[in-house]
Amino acid sequence: MSLVSRLRGLRPRPPAQRGAWDVETIRRGRLSLVLAIVLGLAGLPLILLYSMLVLSSFADRMLSGPDIFEARYSLDNWRLLFEGRLAPASGQTYTTRDILMIIANTFIVALGVTVVVVFVSVLAGYAFSRMRFWGRTRLMEFLILLHAFPGVALIIAVYAVYVWSLRFVPRDWFVPYTVLYTVLARAALEIPMSIWLMKGFFDKIPWEVEWSALVDGASRFTVWRKIMLPLVRPGIAALAIFAFLAGWEDLIYVHVFLYPHVKTLATYIEEVLGTGTETAYLPVVAAAGTLYLIPTIVFFVATQRLLLQALSGGVKA
Amino acid sequence: MVEVRLERVSKRFGRVVAVNEVSLVFEDGRFTVLLGPSGSGKSTLLYLIAGIYKPTSGRIFFGDRDVTELPPKERNVGLVFQNYALYPHMTVYDNIAFPLRLRGVPEPEIDSRVQEVAKLLRIEELLDRYPGQLSGGQQQRVALARALVKRPAVLLLDEPLSNLDALLRLSIRAELRKLQQSLGITAIHVTHDQAEAMSMADKIVVIDRGRVQQVGPPEEVYERPRNLFVATFIGSPPSNTLPGSVESDGGYPVVRVAGSTYRPGEEEARVVEEAGLDRVVVAFRPEHARLLEAPPDEGFDGLSLEGEVYLVEPLGKENIVTLTVAGLPVKTVTPPEQRPGPGEKLYIAVPRPRVMLFDPDTGLNLWSLAEQLAAARRPD
Repeated sequence: MSLVSRLRGLRPRPPAQRGAWDVETIRRGRLSLVLAIVLGLAGLPLILLYSMLVLSSFADRMLSGPDIFEARYSLDNWRLLFEGRLAPASGQTYTTRDILMIIANTFIVALGVTVVVVFVSVLAGYAFSRMRFWGRTRLMEFLILLHAFPGVALIIAVYAVYVWSLRFVPRDWFVPYTVLYTVLARAALEIPMSIWLMKGFFDKIPWEVEWSALVDGASRFTVWRKIMLPLVRPGIAALAIFAFLAGWEDLIYVHVFLYPHVKTLATYIEEVLGTGTETAYLPVVAAAGTLYLIPTIVFFVATQRLLLQALSGGVKA
Repeated sequence: MVEVRLERVSKRFGRVVAVNEVSLVFEDGRFTVLLGPSGSGKSTLLYLIAGIYKPTSGRIFFGDRDVTELPPKERNVGLVFQNYALYPHMTVYDNIAFPLRLRGVPEPEIDSRVQEVAKLLRIEELLDRYPGQLSGGQQQRVALARALVKRPAVLLLDEPLSNLDALLRLSIRAELRKLQQSLGITAIHVTHDQAEAMSMADKIVVIDRGRVQQVGPPEEVYERPRNLFVATFIGSPPSNTLPGSVESDGGYPVVRVAGSTYRPGEEEARVVEEAGLDRVVVAFRPEHARLLEAPPDEGFDGLSLEGEVYLVEPLGKENIVTLTVAGLPVKTVTPPEQRPGPGEKLYIAVPRPRVMLFDPDTGLNLWSLAEQLAAARRPD
């Protein structure tokens, strides 16, 4: 084979056939395929197990695989759940639980965390983004450090403060106080990262927009309220969702400070399971677990795009 | 409509002095351009006038009113930014109405004033749209409308044309100037584009490194640059500068520059002697130099240099010819039909009135150096 023909043989197909590929689009098709396979494999166990959970909540037994074809499906488990009964056999010695109350409690904690986190982060995020004050950079670094501590690591200290603070609380105020304390403690865990997130959103708004409003006759506060806040609305939404889910999903803080006098879905499920898997009627627990999952799934599906923007540090104004 | 006066205004950011002891008057109803390279402090000066920054020292007056300590909202200025800074979440109408709403103007009056200014700027059809749906030129008009709707005492423009494409910039430049004249508003316009400054300004203020370099009408800044910075910043291509040494020709000072001798005028010769200069910088504008095949006649009065063509850039209406003169680059502008080839030996002739001499130490033009010497000599 001559050199020329060998070269010709090695020559790539003409660009017209391969399509006009440049650095950005190169091999995009193949990359997407690989990504899809990897993510699909990684997601498979999650998807399968969660599907099992959801299916089990309608079945007469806890499903584990091939038995999905043998089980009988009905809404019985959900009915039992909302009736506050933990098993179909009424003769058993279970005390009934007020599931609506438990759902309401979960909402109170989650919304409380949301309100506190959003309120603090929006104000602090603006300050960190737009104001110069002593120790600003140090504080920012410190916030990152705070974020590095998991809630579990802090629980002893938080509990110590809790016990110490109880002496100032009148008996009648005990329950509302513990709810408030849980909300504040849980919110405090979310706030450092939320401030950073919010700062990112404020940073994206050009100074000129703020200056324009000042020159147009607004006070600093009016600028914040009428110009800055509407522009960071996507940020606030993302923040609120994160905070809500954090409050909704929390087990440790709720367990330490609210159990057993105030129950949330997390502690409820824990309690039912905790009574011993031998006696617990698992399909009802599966229903409770599904119920517990719903807000998470709804939020993530509804706000995927928003969350991506938030995680990449803000939105375009 | 007021006159804006700055008295020894300085602004420091930490250790950086952005504006240094600037005293200026912006006349009522005139169009003043602040011209300088990026980082010269021109925008900072504008923000000081707007009240966005507070001066570190010095005072700012609008007419007789001392506004130094007043926040922006009490100054009644209109400000247009390079990036327009429209409020993205409001329609064009709400953007323009925003300053009026803040003042609590009743809604019917807001409506009539928004319509009026929209008509003036020909953006009536855009009122329902959002800024994101507009082109750069349209956004610019909206920003201008928002600045004008409050009938500001002073209109401040911070490089408002820089983000527009070249053709649009030319047309809006003319329009903006006409608008300012018809409204009779005091306008202060910041730019780094010297052509923009020359074409729009009643008065140009050249700024560099936080200091005012020269103040004057465009022709004066062009014809009689006060120092080397102004001479080389204004003009396109910029002025040529060549180092020269002063020698004596029978008691009369002459300048040896790039292998030839230049005999300065009497006025300049007097300054050279008086200031005791032994070196000067010789400068001239590319458009004032002529390229000749042969050395100029004996009787030629001016600067004559010998150079070799290095590069020719044809621009259609003219050619820019770069020559090397004693190893230094010199640019000249020639008519389109004169298009020498690289390597050609040519003569550069600059008539005496077009040759500028500068003191290399202070950078001052000799006439301005003479003024300083005279001022120093005055008994008080």
